[in-house]
Amino acid sequence: MKNMQRNAQITKVLTYVVLILGAVIMIFPFVWMILTSFKTQTESMQVNPIVFFPTHWDLNNFVDAVKSLPFVNMYINTALMIFFRVVCAVAFSSMAAYAFAKLRFKGKNILFGIILVQMSLPSQIFIIPQYQMVAKLGNLIPALGANTVFALVFPGIVSAFGTFFLRQTYLGIPNEISEAAYLDGCNQWQTFTKVLFPLTGTSVAALTIFTAVFAYGDLMWPLVVNSDLNMMTLSSGLATLRGQFSTNFPVLMAGSLLAMLPMVVLYMIFQRQFIEGIAHTGGK
Amino acid sequence: MNKIPRVLAAVLLVAMLLSLAGCGTSDGKTHLTFQIWDVGQRDGMQAMCDAYTANVNPNVEIEVQVTSWGEYWTKLEAAAESNTMADIFWMHSDQILYYSEFGMLADVTDLYDDEDPNFYQEHYSDISILNATGEDGRMYGVPKDKDNVVLVYNKSMFDAAGVSYPDETWTWDNLIDASQKIYDVTGKYGYMAYNDEQLGYHNFVYQNGGCILTEDKTQGGFDQQATRDAVKFYVDLQSYEWCPDQAYFAETSPGTAFLSGLGSMYLEGSWNLLSSMKNYPDIEGQWDVAVLPAAPNPVSGNGHATISNGLTYATAAHGKNLDICLDVLKYFGSEEAQRIQGESGAAIPAYMGLEDTWISAFDQFSYQLDLQAVMDQFDYAVQYVNNSARPKWKSNVVDIMTSIYNGSVDIDTGLDQIQNLINTETAKKLADK
Amino acid sequence: MAEQKKAKTKMSAAAKREQNWGYLMIAPTIIGLIILNLWPFVQTIYTSFCEHLGFGQYKFVGLQNYIEMFQDPEVWRATWNTIYFCILTVPLGLFLALLVAMLLNAKIKGKGVFRTIFFLPMVCAPAAVTMVWRWIFNADYGILNQILGTKINWVTDPNVVMIACAIVAIWSNIGYDAILLLAGLQNISKSYYEAASIDGASKITQFFHITLPMVSPTLFVVMIMRLMSSIKVYDLIYMMVEDTNPALTSVQSLMYLFYRQSFVAGSRGMGSAIVIWTVLLIGIVTVIQFVGQKKWVNYEV
Repeated sequence: MKNMQRNAQITKVLTYVVLILGAVIMIFPFVWMILTSFKTQTESMQVNPIVFFPTHWDLNNFVDAVKSLPFVNMYINTALMIFFRVVCAVAFSSMAAYAFAKLRFKGKNILFGIILVQMSLPSQIFIIPQYQMVAKLGNLIPALGANTVFALVFPGIVSAFGTFFLRQTYLGIPNEISEAAYLDGCNQWQTFTKVLFPLTGTSVAALTIFTAVFAYGDLMWPLVVNSDLNMMTLSSGLATLRGQFSTNFPVLMAGSLLAMLPMVVLYMIFQRQFIEGIAHTGGK
Repeated sequence: MNKIPRVLAAVLLVAMLLSLAGCGTSDGKTHLTFQIWDVGQRDGMQAMCDAYTANVNPNVEIEVQVTSWGEYWTKLEAAAESNTMADIFWMHSDQILYYSEFGMLADVTDLYDDEDPNFYQEHYSDISILNATGEDGRMYGVPKDKDNVVLVYNKSMFDAAGVSYPDETWTWDNLIDASQKIYDVTGKYGYMAYNDEQLGYHNFVYQNGGCILTEDKTQGGFDQQATRDAVKFYVDLQSYEWCPDQAYFAETSPGTAFLSGLGSMYLEGSWNLLSSMKNYPDIEGQWDVAVLPAAPNPVSGNGHATISNGLTYATAAHGKNLDICLDVLKYFGSEEAQRIQGESGAAIPAYMGLEDTWISAFDQFSYQLDLQAVMDQFDYAVQYVNNSARPKWKSNVVDIMTSIYNGSVDIDTGLDQIQNLINTETAKKLADK
Repeated sequence: MAEQKKAKTKMSAAAKREQNWGYLMIAPTIIGLIILNLWPFVQTIYTSFCEHLGFGQYKFVGLQNYIEMFQDPEVWRATWNTIYFCILTVPLGLFLALLVAMLLNAKIKGKGVFRTIFFLPMVCAPAAVTMVWRWIFNADYGILNQILGTKINWVTDPNVVMIACAIVAIWSNIGYDAILLLAGLQNISKSYYEAASIDGASKITQFFHITLPMVSPTLFVVMIMRLMSSIKVYDLIYMMVEDTNPALTSVQSLMYLFYRQSFVAGSRGMGSAIVIWTVLLIGIVTVIQFVGQKKWVNYEV
């Protein structure tokens, strides 16, 4: 009995040791990013011994980063892009997912195949054709062309992943519920909006988080489509900063921190919702 | 709760309309876009555009947009295919032959005929004009600027090692000697020989009397002994202990190493000098520029050479605002606009006689670089290497050079491969015509 | 009999309505996907049989791109690099994620803090993340070599660079995978373990006989997702290894090679052929996965 208790204790200590070690590895890049962002370039490149803490905690690198990039615009653009992509993904995917899960119509399997095909294609092949679509659209209506918020949202107007994911959710809702609504005199659209959609709150939240995180990290598309500095997103702005400061890491780290800040703060506030939402994207 | 989709749809619609309305201001003016790739020149370019609105045509407003170099060409080509190019844009010598061959650029040869048929020849150097000329001998861009490659050195390290500063008497031997002495005394890197064409071995090849392409641009020059010797000399620099290897440069650019006080010399383009001064005030006064060292035993010439390139302003051949764009280009090539460019420090104006305006942009600093060295080098500058097949061989040559550097290909074999590649691709291109 | 017939005709009117609603509701998504994704893909297939002359002008050359592609050692190298990246990131990444998930599933204090930390990389832009890792890996001035007292060229040594990329990939994704697996673990009823303990089964036996089979459906989903994105890997390697890096050929994935062929060298025909080859690989791997899952995934929960 005593032996077993001791064993349990050892297991517990071991668990803590591994977790703490893992946590240190996970958090270290962030710590290093913060420390580097306050160093001068010369300090950052000193070795034997390496300079761990900056000698002066001043904001020069942040000033340089802010001077080179319109961060306020970048925050706004990123927020707008995420907002519209989320709204579109949720609205259109919910509709399609409900139809694929609950309604009967001809050619359903083939049409659903399009969703599966899209998910297996590498997204890089869409960039040039989609850019040309936006450019042509912009010739007709300038407000829908390149260098607009619309252009940033464009590839995310519909979401194959969202449709696939929400379909699972709708499949999980018993048919009796939709049939009951139907018998109550609702048509298919009303059944969807009044009865079933409100039941998918958790999944919609999960899709929201997933879409937001993905849009936030998207790099190639914003970089190609919006070249006006004032219309850049945080990710594409950061890439531009790298073009300008090449390997001046203190400034790059300061810019990265500024770019990451809003998402990290949001995450810290809503972390429970974040984690539960993401856990939900795994199905079940 | 059950109204959510409708509410969402309404919000979506309203928000979209609002964000659209914000952009679609119509004030009766023509709005043009001007695409460039260098953030550092944005303000100078915008000043020029504003001057056009103020002094030439108040009904035209031009907005400058910056795309970084890598995406710039991806985007421009995609835009060219769908005839949606920016109204005005920069053209680089790497690409002008390709774009003009496919008829993407407006012909500007006769742009100034109404005022002076010899305008270009009178105000622009031969190199500037060549950099703006297509295979057919017509001009497809208005010369913008000119540049060349200089030797940047750290004065403090030279002082510490007791070596005299580089000057026009320097040869490759001095470069090696100084590097060794500085390394011995200070432990810092000497000349940082980076695997680059324009900022690297191309300069050395021409100094030695060799060439990358023959005079008529139909063949490579890698079969000439002078070319091979120069490339070998340059690659061998890496074997000295005072020179970092290419793996180092993949992570730390020579400029970063230099400006952090880790190395004493590297080759830099004149276009980067102003931003180096601006972004690194801490070491202002500790470094300066000099002409490139000469080849000690050139096969021909006096051993001096530097690669000189120049950008051009261009517009699409079939743009919807072609007439206005041509008028803007005409202004950009005028003395007034070139002066604004120079004074903003953006680049050395291609317009001859305005070189000093660029030098005056450095007056804001307390330490004055020896910019006369840049000007002196124009006397023996060599035009940036180019032919119409270059897009087909450029990236492969870089790959072979990388293999030579990392030892997977023997240098003689590698140079033969390069020669072969250039000749084959060029011949193919010529046969297509 | 009569009633049945009546129901059938009634059904068909309703069914027709249902069908119309169905088409209407999938219309935005399907039309969007066809325009945005499917049509470009069809164009890619066509392009793979063409030579790109310039500015979107193509010459039909039949199978030439495919013949050249399979003769090109660079393509085979890139194929191997992609597979190697999958080997490094998927099994190891999943193992570590499962380990983290199990540790977090134990009764310990500060679970929330650990969860927060492990998940943090997910909400950070990859552009920022790769930048700091490059700085950590820097051979001369990076902190990693300083701590280890080594002089490893993490991103420029052909033998090491892939490992460096894999470390960043695993670091970025471990939190996400662990969260999914944790959700799977939490669905396992405690009574299984209690019963096993009474029978005297060791922890290891419990892991292989209870945990692994019970979590296998989640593990399968995570594995499919990870594998798909690993075959398509591009951004991460592109940002870690620039095209002037001497170790490029040892690390460039198929999609990186596509990028260099199509966008840098202008050979879009070859680039498209590489994409088709990649999609084919994805298809093969997916089929193998779905056939193979019957052997190890346990759906009797």
